Amino acid sequence: MTESRVDSRQSTVDSQDPFAREAELPHSLVTINLGPSHPAMHGVVRLTVTLDGETIARAVPEIGFLHRGFEKSSENSTWHQVLPYTDRLNYVSPILNNVGYIMAVEKLCGVKDPPRSQYLRVVAGEISRICDHLTCIAAFGLELGAFTVFLYGVEARELLWDRISELTGARVTTSWTRIGGLASDAPPGWAEKVNECMPRVLELTDEIDALLTRNRIFIDRTRGIGVIGGDEALDWGFTGPCLRASGVNYDVRKAHPYLVYDKMDFEVPLGQRGDTHDRYWVRIQEIRQSARIIEQGLAALPPGPVIIDDWRYALPPKKEVYSSIEGVMAHFKHFMEGVKVPRGEAYGYTEGANGELGFHVISNGQGKPYRVHVRAPGFPILSALPRLIEGHMVADLIPIFDSINMIGGEVEQ
Amino acid sequence: MAQALIDLVRGKFPDAVLSSASEKGDESIAVRREALVDVCRFLKDEAEMKLMSDLCPVDMLTFGQEMTGGGSLASQEATPYALERKPQVEPRYRLLYNLYSVTKKQRLRLVIELRSDDAKVPSVTSVWRTADWWERYAYDLMGIEFTGHPDLRRILLYPEFVGHPLRKDYPVQKRQPLVPEHDFPDLIRGPGPGPGGAGLPMSQTHVGRQNVDPTTYD
Repeated sequence: MTESRVDSRQSTVDSQDPFAREAELPHSLVTINLGPSHPAMHGVVRLTVTLDGETIARAVPEIGFLHRGFEKSSENSTWHQVLPYTDRLNYVSPILNNVGYIMAVEKLCGVKDPPRSQYLRVVAGEISRICDHLTCIAAFGLELGAFTVFLYGVEARELLWDRISELTGARVTTSWTRIGGLASDAPPGWAEKVNECMPRVLELTDEIDALLTRNRIFIDRTRGIGVIGGDEALDWGFTGPCLRASGVNYDVRKAHPYLVYDKMDFEVPLGQRGDTHDRYWVRIQEIRQSARIIEQGLAALPPGPVIIDDWRYALPPKKEVYSSIEGVMAHFKHFMEGVKVPRGEAYGYTEGANGELGFHVISNGQGKPYRVHVRAPGFPILSALPRLIEGHMVADLIPIFDSINMIGGEVEQ
Repeated sequence: MAQALIDLVRGKFPDAVLSSASEKGDESIAVRREALVDVCRFLKDEAEMKLMSDLCPVDMLTFGQEMTGGGSLASQEATPYALERKPQVEPRYRLLYNLYSVTKKQRLRLVIELRSDDAKVPSVTSVWRTADWWERYAYDLMGIEFTGHPDLRRILLYPEFVGHPLRKDYPVQKRQPLVPEHDFPDLIRGPGPGPGGAGLPMSQTHVGRQNVDPTTYD
């Protein structure tokens, strides 16, 4: 694509001045492709940018390379079979997706999970949130040349993913929640292990903070770059850290507390400028707040069952399946026909790592969902990418793209 | 809480609101299609519904079927016989606009019902910028047409895709036709009308300069 934009300006140049003539050399716009397989494109997204020199004149993102048909597949699975698909939406914080989906289904069923399950969901969800933010910041550092930040971030994330795998049996494909509770209780000594590893995670976060937040090079590359105001961010559908970086106080955990977030003491960090640096800074602060929630949640973790006793919705315990006819029947119905979720529709929303994670579930009373629609937080944020990068230099594209933390799995379903 | 909001909309647009409902804590109002943009603008400006959270298109084709599961008509077990005798449900499509007010902490679902022979709805991109991609998503996967949308094309699927997969009569295991190879006229600068003109198909060329007329390459 070549567009000439020289002729109109040439007449204004003083033809006697050779330097002025040189500054007005004829030039044309150049279109280049970033991605789909570009190391800084997090997953696969193609960005066609039209450059005027080194300035981005126009950008068109093209998505869908990772489209797996999540919603269509969900309609042909039982309610519980959808759960593994939700892991793959945001594969960095899968438990938040598990919890978000199951809470939407529970809203439709009108059941509530027992207190121990609620606390464990909060604790594991906050661990996942820290993992997500650490991944974002680690990749952010890496792509700006700060390899140490990447190593620190990944070390902390590995510590947490070890805890997740002790809890659920898998690092990222957790599928840990069930309607009315959880698949498994925390193993003995798990809370102590989490408490042991959290100081190291916070220490590494402090190191990253010290390396980046007041680093001259980092500030020069992020401060004042990709600025978006609060009202405009809302208009574009921003939620989560990207919205809060613009100064809008909207966190689902505070605005509409679910599970036991109303019993937790934590703050919602807000940015002031809405630039790339604020989006990074809000994530660093949220890691610390999440650590507070984990500490409080583990201290208050009540004893008791992790799944309800109502076998219409919840899976019967294995002991009952093997020793009683009612247990066998309930188990059989769950796995052969699926849970009979009452007819109706509900929108369940939770605070995912990147913003409001909503699941719109519709049931016609059968064992399979009639419709599952995911409101992926990254989808509207990515749609604003051209707005954020246009007018900036090519080199600014990478920090801006890192700071919105686009996750291919959820954006492209 | 949200009842006051529904009354407000009813008072302002007495003819446009068809019905309102409250289900499991979610408030919803169904509005007439013609009034959609006006109602949306009113909700954004007067009721501070600054965030259009999402847009969920639903196909109601098999909703009433018993003992079938949600997607049975489109599932792999569906026989051609069942597909031929597909039920007619009107209005077939529902569009659910999920609106949220950060200041008032209110959520409202706006429902538009569409008949299958006239699946068109005015675009609300002039009200919320974020509607742009959500409407492209609904167009791509459900085949709803948004009149007045600035750039209505597929977003997740590729342009040659046939059909709209979230419709209930789209079989899950349907195969798509193979897409013929595109010509890449300018391999150095990527796809698009480049200076090289129409070149050879990619399989017949080396990726390199020889594909481009050197005189036009600056």
